[in-house]
Amino acid sequence: MSEVVQVQNITKTYGKKGEKQYQALKGVSFDVERGEFVGIMGASGSGKTTLLNILSTLDQPTTGNVYINGRDITGLNKNQMADFRGQEIGFIFQDFNLLENLTNRENIALPLSLQNVKSSQINPKVDKIVKRLGIDHILNKYPAEISGGQKQRVAAARALVHEPAILYGDEPTGALDSKSATELLETMKGLNENDRVSILMVTHDPYSASYASRILFIKDGKIGKEIKKDGKSREEFYQEIIAELGRR
Amino acid sequence: MLWKLSLTGIKSRFKDYLVLFSGLTFASAIFYMFMTLATNPAFLKGSLSIAFKITQIVFGFGIALLSIITFVYIVYANSFLLSMRQKDYGMYMMLGARTSKIGRLIFTETLVVGLLATLLGTVLGVGLTQGVSSVLISQLGLQIHKFVGFYLPALLWTIAFFAILFFLVAFWNRHKLVKSNVINLLHEDQKPVKLHRNKLWKFIEAILGIALLAVGYWAMMHAAKLGKKTIPIAFFTIVFGSYFTFDSFFTAIIDLLRKNLAYKYKKLHSFTLGQLKFRLSDYTRILSTVSLLFALALGAITVGLNFNNMTEQAMQSTYYDVVLYGHNKKVDNQLKKVSVKSTTTFDYKMVVEGKGKEKSRVLYIPENQIKNNQIMYQHYSRKNDMNHYDTRCIKVSDFKNKTDFNEAQYQLVSLTPYIDAQAKVVPETQYNQVKAKVNKIELLRVNDFRSNFNNIEKLQNLSATQMMSSPEVDKDAVNVNLSNSKSAQYRLVSSMTSGFEFMGFFLGLAFLAMLASTLMFKVLSGANSDKPRYQMLWKVGTRKSLLKASIAKEIGILFALPAALGVVDVLFGLQLFKSILGMNTYDKLWIPFTIFGVLYVLYYLLTVVLYQHIVLQKED
Ligand SMILES: Nc1ncnc2c1ncn2[C@@H]1O[C@H](COP(=O)(O)OP(=O)(O)OP(=O)(O)O)[C@@H](O)[C@H]1O
Ligand SMILES: [Mg+2]
Repeated sequence: MSEVVQVQNITKTYGKKGEKQYQALKGVSFDVERGEFVGIMGASGSGKTTLLNILSTLDQPTTGNVYINGRDITGLNKNQMADFRGQEIGFIFQDFNLLENLTNRENIALPLSLQNVKSSQINPKVDKIVKRLGIDHILNKYPAEISGGQKQRVAAARALVHEPAILYGDEPTGALDSKSATELLETMKGLNENDRVSILMVTHDPYSASYASRILFIKDGKIGKEIKKDGKSREEFYQEIIAELGRR
Repeated sequence: MLWKLSLTGIKSRFKDYLVLFSGLTFASAIFYMFMTLATNPAFLKGSLSIAFKITQIVFGFGIALLSIITFVYIVYANSFLLSMRQKDYGMYMMLGARTSKIGRLIFTETLVVGLLATLLGTVLGVGLTQGVSSVLISQLGLQIHKFVGFYLPALLWTIAFFAILFFLVAFWNRHKLVKSNVINLLHEDQKPVKLHRNKLWKFIEAILGIALLAVGYWAMMHAAKLGKKTIPIAFFTIVFGSYFTFDSFFTAIIDLLRKNLAYKYKKLHSFTLGQLKFRLSDYTRILSTVSLLFALALGAITVGLNFNNMTEQAMQSTYYDVVLYGHNKKVDNQLKKVSVKSTTTFDYKMVVEGKGKEKSRVLYIPENQIKNNQIMYQHYSRKNDMNHYDTRCIKVSDFKNKTDFNEAQYQLVSLTPYIDAQAKVVPETQYNQVKAKVNKIELLRVNDFRSNFNNIEKLQNLSATQMMSSPEVDKDAVNVNLSNSKSAQYRLVSSMTSGFEFMGFFLGLAFLAMLASTLMFKVLSGANSDKPRYQMLWKVGTRKSLLKASIAKEIGILFALPAALGVVDVLFGLQLFKSILGMNTYDKLWIPFTIFGVLYVLYYLLTVVLYQHIVLQKED
């Protein structure tokens, strides 16, 4: 198996030299295998969002390297970064981040138009992914007209329509009720197992985390511990996570 | 504590406040300037003794219009202020601040910002009035003398007007914050917008809009036939036509574009179209207002500048700029101050023939001078309902036929001091036999008539005085009251037109500044709620340059639509002036259009830059 994401010893220091500085990441290294579903957990302020921002080129590390699909993303210029995000990365955010002035179909199509995909190929691609996510009946509505759970599926469809190398989620279930959260997580699991989509998900929530196949615990800017599902049932894995969290 | 928080809030948005503040300052400065020009008798009487009454009415109308647009402007500037503040205030309220306290805060903030801007604006206005009036006066060659920028009544009026306005606005803001609930304040930007509307009504509206506009334009084209009914018809149809057109026709075009997948699925097109669609439904009122004001302002400038043409035209009626009847020291000194392009001369001898009632004066002029010197005059006629002049040369043959009225004879005599005399063009030998003093007339054409007008007029007057005071002159026969001289005509016409011209120009520019910044504030008020959208687009991999281009395009269309409609309005509206004033207003259209275009584009660019500054975050 090859790695989609390789993180090599990255650090991140906020604040300019001479001013008050804060080191949010203190040397983080790990890999994500192709087709893996990795969860990242940690207390608030431990550096999860910081890490995800760096992995998605929204921010740059102070030192260290990140390879995605074998390409070093820390040396890219701004336009290359934007293009890279558009091609290789899919995002699901806690607060959906859909554009209210576009229909759901237009929202999902956006990454494709940004990549200059031929217009005749766009609708078929959109149709394929929405069928997979079970939202084909709400495509012509606007985001304001659908539920939170549906919005997050639309967001997932937009994140996946261009077949990115990896799907990132920052608390994707954070704004959902437990039923919608479970549905989304099941969908993500399905995408991971059946379509071999690589997923990296940041979460506070042990229940969401239990859907991952491996969990990295981050503490004070460092990876503290790592636990794997390894054939355990989801309930057993959930208990293990709770225990691990209790240990801290 | 809250006061401190509120101040920190202002500090963190200092740049946006600066824009708002300078906008308000500018508005009050313009208002003061216009009030001064319109109400200061020194200005009016000095320039417009003849047309004083009319001008007062026109200026009064101007004040009314300016008040209306200022009001609209303040309302939109205020909505920008509110859009910056309501999240902060909503937050304080959520944290438990008392509503009454918040109400006081926003009330005070609005009033303080407004009044400070007004005071600064009036001070600025005094200086601006002085500067602008002197520039305009010299640039346009207006006949307006010394003018002081400070005029107390105008100052008081301006301050009173703005104080009342800001009080109202402050009450409104307080009302809005106190009455709406916290959630709405915090999430104003996420309010769902009305999405679906009755398609049939929209369709009817679009057709109706275009049809009403067409009727309005038709009415203005046929103003001669419709007479007094033209203005009410045009006003009604164009106001509603514009509104309907913005409300449905343009959105219909956007919907059409959205159906075209090849277009929509390209780069950020779908986003830009989505933005526009929602914007337009929210902007209907302001866009139609802007298009109408745009037309008014551009029309004012065009017509104003045309009064200038009217002066120009009046000057065409006379061929020679200065007629010199003789010389003395004063005349010679003054002549040095005038740049002469060409000089034509002829001699004459004046003889009194007959006695008593039969007494008449005959001017003898040598034939060869008429033949060789090429004395010209302007022949008047009407062509296509326009005044028309062509230049003709006085010929010897003009004096051979003995008709009662002969234009060339008349023109030649009017160049001499003896308007009532009869001219006889005679051969050299006969001329020499006439026993009378030889007089020489010099006909000058000069460079820069308008810019050097004062010196030219003085030269003409000095020459006349010299003629009158020369000992051998026949005093009761001389008629050099100068009404025929070019200087006299120019002074007469320009004293009437310059006031109108000035006002058209001034009102036009003031209107433009106000309407463009009204639109600017409207666009900027939406910037805060657009911020997350651009953030999100950036996150999913849109290049900054593409975002910037999309912003420029979107705002560009919002600026272009009312401008386009406004230009069409003006082109048809000028028909009115053509039939009423007989002016060919289409003549030098490019001048007002260019001035206008440049200023409008500057406002557009400023809006784009400010918007991008608010919406896009810095990448390191
Ligand atoms: N732009 C910034 N400037 C300075 N410090 C920052 C910045 N962003 C984050 N930090 C600090 O870095 C640390 C890590 O922040 P980060 O947002 O990554 O935490 P997190 O693990 O995502 O927390 P949460 O679970 O609450 O979202 C925090 O202590 C935070 O205060
Ligand atoms: Mg976080």
